[in-house]
Amino acid sequence: MREFITGNDAVVRAAIAAGCDYFAGYPITPASSILSGMIDAFSGTGRIAIQTEDEIAAIGQCIGAAMAGAKAMTATSGPGLSLYSENIGLAQMGEVPLVIVDVQRMGPATGGATATGEGDVLFARHVTAGGYPLPVFAAADAESAYRLTYRAFNVAERLRTPVIMLSSKDIALTRQTADLDAVDLPAALSRPAAMDTAAFQPYAVQHPADVPAFAPVGGHHRVRFTGSIHDENGVLTIDHRKIEHKLAHLTVKIGAAAEWLEDVSADLDGEADTLVVSYGQSDGAAREAVAELRGARRRISHLTVYGLWPVPVAALHRAITPNVRRIIAPELNIGLYADELRRAAPGVEVVSITRVDGRLISPRMIVERINQKPCG
Amino acid sequence: MSILTARRKDMAYCPGCSHGLVLEQLDQAIERLGLPLERICIVSDIGCIGIADRYFACHTFHGLHGRSITYAEGIHRVRPDMLVVVLIGDGGCGIGTAHLVHAARRRAGIKVVVCNNFNFGMTGGQHSPTTPECTCTTTTPDGAADQAFDVCETVAVNGASYVARHSALDPGCVDSLEAALRAPGFALVDLWELCVAYFMPSNDLKPQDLLTLSQRTDLPFGVLRQATAAESNRQATRVIATAGSPMRPGAVGQAPRLSWPGRTEISVAGSAGQRIRSAVATLGEIAVAGGLFAAEVDDFPITVRRGHSVSNLVISPRPIRYPSVDNPDLLVLLSADGVARAGPGLASMRPSGLIVVARDLEVPTTPARVVRFDFAGLERQAGKASAAVAAVAFAVQTAGWARPDELQAAAEAAVHGSYRGETLRALATGFLWTPAA
Repeated sequence: MREFITGNDAVVRAAIAAGCDYFAGYPITPASSILSGMIDAFSGTGRIAIQTEDEIAAIGQCIGAAMAGAKAMTATSGPGLSLYSENIGLAQMGEVPLVIVDVQRMGPATGGATATGEGDVLFARHVTAGGYPLPVFAAADAESAYRLTYRAFNVAERLRTPVIMLSSKDIALTRQTADLDAVDLPAALSRPAAMDTAAFQPYAVQHPADVPAFAPVGGHHRVRFTGSIHDENGVLTIDHRKIEHKLAHLTVKIGAAAEWLEDVSADLDGEADTLVVSYGQSDGAAREAVAELRGARRRISHLTVYGLWPVPVAALHRAITPNVRRIIAPELNIGLYADELRRAAPGVEVVSITRVDGRLISPRMIVERINQKPCG
Repeated sequence: MSILTARRKDMAYCPGCSHGLVLEQLDQAIERLGLPLERICIVSDIGCIGIADRYFACHTFHGLHGRSITYAEGIHRVRPDMLVVVLIGDGGCGIGTAHLVHAARRRAGIKVVVCNNFNFGMTGGQHSPTTPECTCTTTTPDGAADQAFDVCETVAVNGASYVARHSALDPGCVDSLEAALRAPGFALVDLWELCVAYFMPSNDLKPQDLLTLSQRTDLPFGVLRQATAAESNRQATRVIATAGSPMRPGAVGQAPRLSWPGRTEISVAGSAGQRIRSAVATLGEIAVAGGLFAAEVDDFPITVRRGHSVSNLVISPRPIRYPSVDNPDLLVLLSADGVARAGPGLASMRPSGLIVVARDLEVPTTPARVVRFDFAGLERQAGKASAAVAAVAFAVQTAGWARPDELQAAAEAAVHGSYRGETLRALATGFLWTPAA
């Protein structure tokens, strides 16, 4: 059934579908309606949704709740993501399944509270000290916000990691036509559970790509959780081999899942000379532009990136068919992801289309840029 | 059963430091509760006391500086049957003051033990929020100038059910810790401790000087707040009961399919408080109920009941990939704020564009067709709260994109909620309104 809903409504519905049972957040435009939506949805259900004193408490409560066994989510905008930063590192080190929704707005600082922008795409990846990877998804509309929020829970559970789901003001607050019932959702996943009978080591992994079995705080096994560098027992260590083992694991468990994490939509023409790579709010304009150019007999391919991190290098290489000479990358920021595309596809010219004035990149802007002669 | 796995002499604390003593006293108090280990969680903050988690056999959680209270609250909300104890230093009480105050205010069921040795021992003896006035630390070499932070009074006046301050050397503090652990809601015990590495030698203090320090700073030892039995009972039984609410905010009914000429861009500009956004949302719901696609992007300042309110709506028979209204086919102007916001775009409107404007408003020069109407009269007839809905209906009818009776039928399916009757009447009024009326 088609509905007329906002991207934030879709996030709330996805969290419910995924089995989220703990939400904590702090009001911030344009994410506030996720907070109120979760409080409405959970009232009278026994599940917990709470407005905290600040963003730090919001994510802190979520981390505590997640380690007690809850499926936890928090939602904010760029200024709040800044305040989450240190705790995101804690969630990485402690291997906490946690979904973080960042409804981007114009930055930096307070920026434009009611103006759009998608400038957090690198910040999301590099959000905390240490540089360890975490999966990042980017919604393009309400339907993809629904699918990706649900997926973020599965990824968080399966890999025991914080996951960031990016949305932005004009996805989050735009009421749009969406048919969420028609979105194909996989089965909800749970974190790997420790056997009740076996001896329990909270951070033991055989291979670096493995994910440690989970036992909740308050359960049968005694859980030792720490944000400091630790061994398989959750005990602080200065043993170089154990430190190397733990930190390699944090990198490898994400990298080894790259294929599973790949989330793109490819609309390819084998004879294309131009490839449009888009994500977020600019994706719709890119689709319109591609349709118009094909109507004018241009050979053109389009790749929508929903999984921003890890960068979907394999999908990008598949989309760069032999005749592709340039990539067009429209972004509502100063051209941040274009550099990642340049890194992943060094032989192809990457042309940035950027807009940072709070308005959207239009199909016309993309068509006109593509119709200019390829530069370089 | 003891929950400690090490004895004081084997712990990693400086000889003479009181942290080991405090851990043993806490252990004795917890033991008196007779809880199984799996129902106890120690959440340790950062600093010397933060490393204490390694000495406990129960669940332990060691996170970030000042945030131990937030993790403890998250754990306890999920597992209210558990005893969740926070071990935090005076530094943690400073960086995490907000959490202390608000956890107390929320009557969060966590128990906080402040291991207060008046300075940052682990990082080199810097002053902390509880450093007493005139005492020396490495960052207050001439004596602290600031008033010491009264942790106890702060949480006591903000909802804590049990608050006490003791010298850690006082054997009676075990009883006080036990009372705190048994108290309903939020409880805090501030234990004054000896930092033998920095604070004590820097100020030439002996253990027995803690009492003098308490008297000099007017921060007395003893039980400072204990909820009465009636208060405790109220806290223990406090339940927030709220009804569930519909989970499908945007669900709309189905109506016969509307015919629509193609992608149309509509912009309605007025003032905050005119219910512009809900009027345009209603039109969007009508479109979706009629089998069309709609996307609504609002433009409003961060203020609430002041300034402009512009709502943009795209309606199309096809999915809408680009929801922005760059050059409206229909512009509805309902106030001077709206004209001021939309004004700059009027000159670039297409000649085929239509502007429907309240007749008393000045409109800049534009190539678009301008239709003036009696908005004040429409407002009198439809009611102030529904005037914008009626105006939008009138404007759509004037644009002639769909038959008013079909739109009204779609509205019957689309509009729900407590304002349904009023909204449907306003739409009917608008669809039948004429510019000359």
